[in-house]
Amino acid sequence: MAAISLQQRQNLRMFLRILLQSLRIRKSRVLIAFCSILIGAAVVFALLSLYFDISIKMSRELRAYGANFFVGAAETGQPTLEADIYRRVLEQIPAQRLVGASPYLYGVARLDLGNAVLAGVDFTGLRRLSPFWQVEGKWVAVDFDEEHCMIGRALARNMALKVGDQLRVFKRETGFNQSLTVRGIVETGQAEDDQIFVNLSLAQKILGQPGRINHAMLSILSRDFDTDALAARLKEQWPGVTAAPLRKVSYSEGKILEKIKGLMALVAVIILAATTFCVMTTLVAMVVERTREIALLKSLGAENRSIVRQFLIETCCISLAGIAGGMLVGFLLAQLLGQAVFGAAISFRIAVVPLTLTVSLVAALLAAIMPVRMALRIAPATVLKGE
Amino acid sequence: MFIRMLRQSFLRGRKRKALAVATIVISASLISALMTISINVGDKMSRELKSYGANINLLPKSESIPLEIGGIDYNPLRGQSFLAETDLPAIKEIFWRNNIAGFAPFLKTPVRLAGQRQPVQLIGTWFDRHQPVANEPDYRTGVRQINPFWEVVGDWPEDRAFGGVLLGAGLAAAAGLEVGDRIRIELGEAERQQSAELQVVGLLKTGGAEDQSIVAPLATVQQLTGLPGKIQAVSVSALTVPENALAKKARRNLDALNTEEYDRWYCTAYVSTIAHQVEEAIPNSAARPIWQVAAGEGAVMRKIQLLLLVVTVAAFIASSLGISSLMSTTIMERSGEIGLMKALGAADRAVYLLFLSEAAVVGIIGGLLGCGAGAGLAQLISLGIFRSTVPFAPVTLPVILFTSVLIALVGSLAPSRHITRLLPAEVLHGRN
Repeated sequence: MAAISLQQRQNLRMFLRILLQSLRIRKSRVLIAFCSILIGAAVVFALLSLYFDISIKMSRELRAYGANFFVGAAETGQPTLEADIYRRVLEQIPAQRLVGASPYLYGVARLDLGNAVLAGVDFTGLRRLSPFWQVEGKWVAVDFDEEHCMIGRALARNMALKVGDQLRVFKRETGFNQSLTVRGIVETGQAEDDQIFVNLSLAQKILGQPGRINHAMLSILSRDFDTDALAARLKEQWPGVTAAPLRKVSYSEGKILEKIKGLMALVAVIILAATTFCVMTTLVAMVVERTREIALLKSLGAENRSIVRQFLIETCCISLAGIAGGMLVGFLLAQLLGQAVFGAAISFRIAVVPLTLTVSLVAALLAAIMPVRMALRIAPATVLKGE
Repeated sequence: MFIRMLRQSFLRGRKRKALAVATIVISASLISALMTISINVGDKMSRELKSYGANINLLPKSESIPLEIGGIDYNPLRGQSFLAETDLPAIKEIFWRNNIAGFAPFLKTPVRLAGQRQPVQLIGTWFDRHQPVANEPDYRTGVRQINPFWEVVGDWPEDRAFGGVLLGAGLAAAAGLEVGDRIRIELGEAERQQSAELQVVGLLKTGGAEDQSIVAPLATVQQLTGLPGKIQAVSVSALTVPENALAKKARRNLDALNTEEYDRWYCTAYVSTIAHQVEEAIPNSAARPIWQVAAGEGAVMRKIQLLLLVVTVAAFIASSLGISSLMSTTIMERSGEIGLMKALGAADRAVYLLFLSEAAVVGIIGGLLGCGAGAGLAQLISLGIFRSTVPFAPVTLPVILFTSVLIALVGSLAPSRHITRLLPAEVLHGRN
């Protein structure tokens, strides 16, 4: 019993010695292997992190297309609903999902040179809702500002108005008669080009519709969020309200996200394959150069199994160190990519860690075992004699 | 002697060289595929982003201010001006005609459903009309091309048939109408009122103003309103590139551009350029970019291009480092050989030259093969995602060739220095 345990202990000591010496003496080569595994693991980690974040990041980017949800009154024509309902609808949507929202109240008002459609909006919300508005001059900045307005490009041209000009607004029915200063001229290429925009509170006064709005537009992050269910829930809660996702935007968003995700997946797979291959060839080259060492071990009576085990554990040690470093570097790399492309951090996902570990370790072990097995099949005498 | 050594090195160490070449082939093909995709992604994604609908709105030049709220015009005295339907094929004859993905004319008029007081909008348009244009006798266009997000329950109406219409889903629900029902509409002012009977062939859902409208073939609406050959607006869907400083400058004031800038602007597919050219092609019209689509597209495209560029650069760096480490390993294992060469009197320079020439040969072979494989790979990616092929950009060949040689050289340089510094006696004795 004691003899066997002594034998085992000696074996273990010898094994550790070979391992340590191999790592110590071949320092520069171990360093190269470590570095190449580190780079490989870093790329794998960064790409996987980026891939898992791409939909959420791109769906935020796609909000550049503006409103994707509509809330209005159920009847046809020009019905109004209470502004209070709009506020309560907003409370139903998680704050981090709501990119922007604005109520709209429309009416016809008389200006110096003719009639125009006047729209009451919430400028702060509108600015986030419609980032595509091409504004010359400035946005109306505060919600209670009742001195300023913004006007459409076509209207400005027809009435010869510039930013900073005064504009008189009349409404016979309410007796409203006041001058507003044009703060900005807006161009969208659609109906807005012919309209005049003021704060909702002012529009309610001008049009004599206190506390009412026509409809509201919302921009919601719709990934993993059922806007159809939200619409159904709102309709059920307030029978006078109709709500629906805007197909023009919501339909396209899903399609585009799918394409981008597919593109990213393919690119990621290809890069992963190529990086893995690079790491493998480096490791293969390193093991191949040790054919003589393997032959020597064999001629001294080492079993095939113990040689394979030694190379395996050696590779494992280097790989684990490399992968650990690689994950750290990879996380930093992902942040760099995220900042460069989206100007936002890429979140750390725990699922990426085991994935990176598996991919890198499997690649490294495969790369080490294949050439060792090849070397084992060679007769030691031929190898030791040279070539 | 040098050539012989180089040849022998390749013949003897065939396996090793094959490994190096294979690695470079793989990396080079990956980089060239990514480059090809990055170069073409703008064009491909621009096509995908067409699902957001038209990005240019063409209207008659007019001084009057429309008073339209929710699709209904509140200005009965509005001096109507029109465009001619027969001018439309000219849209496909502009400089950027191949970037016109589709267009559809519109003619709108308020009508009342029989028995209801509220007016609704009757919209006449082309659904999927056969419209021969120059060089394309089979050209088809209409809302089905430019607005793929329109969802229809039932059938699409025939463009040439009279009376088959789409009914907005919201309107249908409010009026209790279904596919197959016949509806009676009244149009015109009180004294000249007329009515017509239409057949609902499908229900339309868009989430926009069309949900409360009736959409009919253009010819039907022209006949009902007594405006044959007249249209009010055209939606044009064009493939564009994101706006830059030049396009913004042109938009502010076209006359401020000098000749060279103007030519560059005119020959780039900015949305403002295409709008300008469409406006030139159709008499008495004013074209306006629909910024919701045009600006949104620009923002998204820039992101996607940047994303691919950044990923390509990252992949590029990773594979260069991979190849470098492989080259290092293959050189370091040859220390015995170098020791012998030096013992026989070879100068350091000769050793460098040998290694670097080897690296260059490996780089050239690997780069060439990689470029070929990369072109194939790019086609596979493009077919997989965009269902169309990508043209091979000639610029990739020199770039890939140059970089693969460079990477191989850089990878060889550091270990060659290390190895030439070794003492021959030590190396040959066997302590490496």
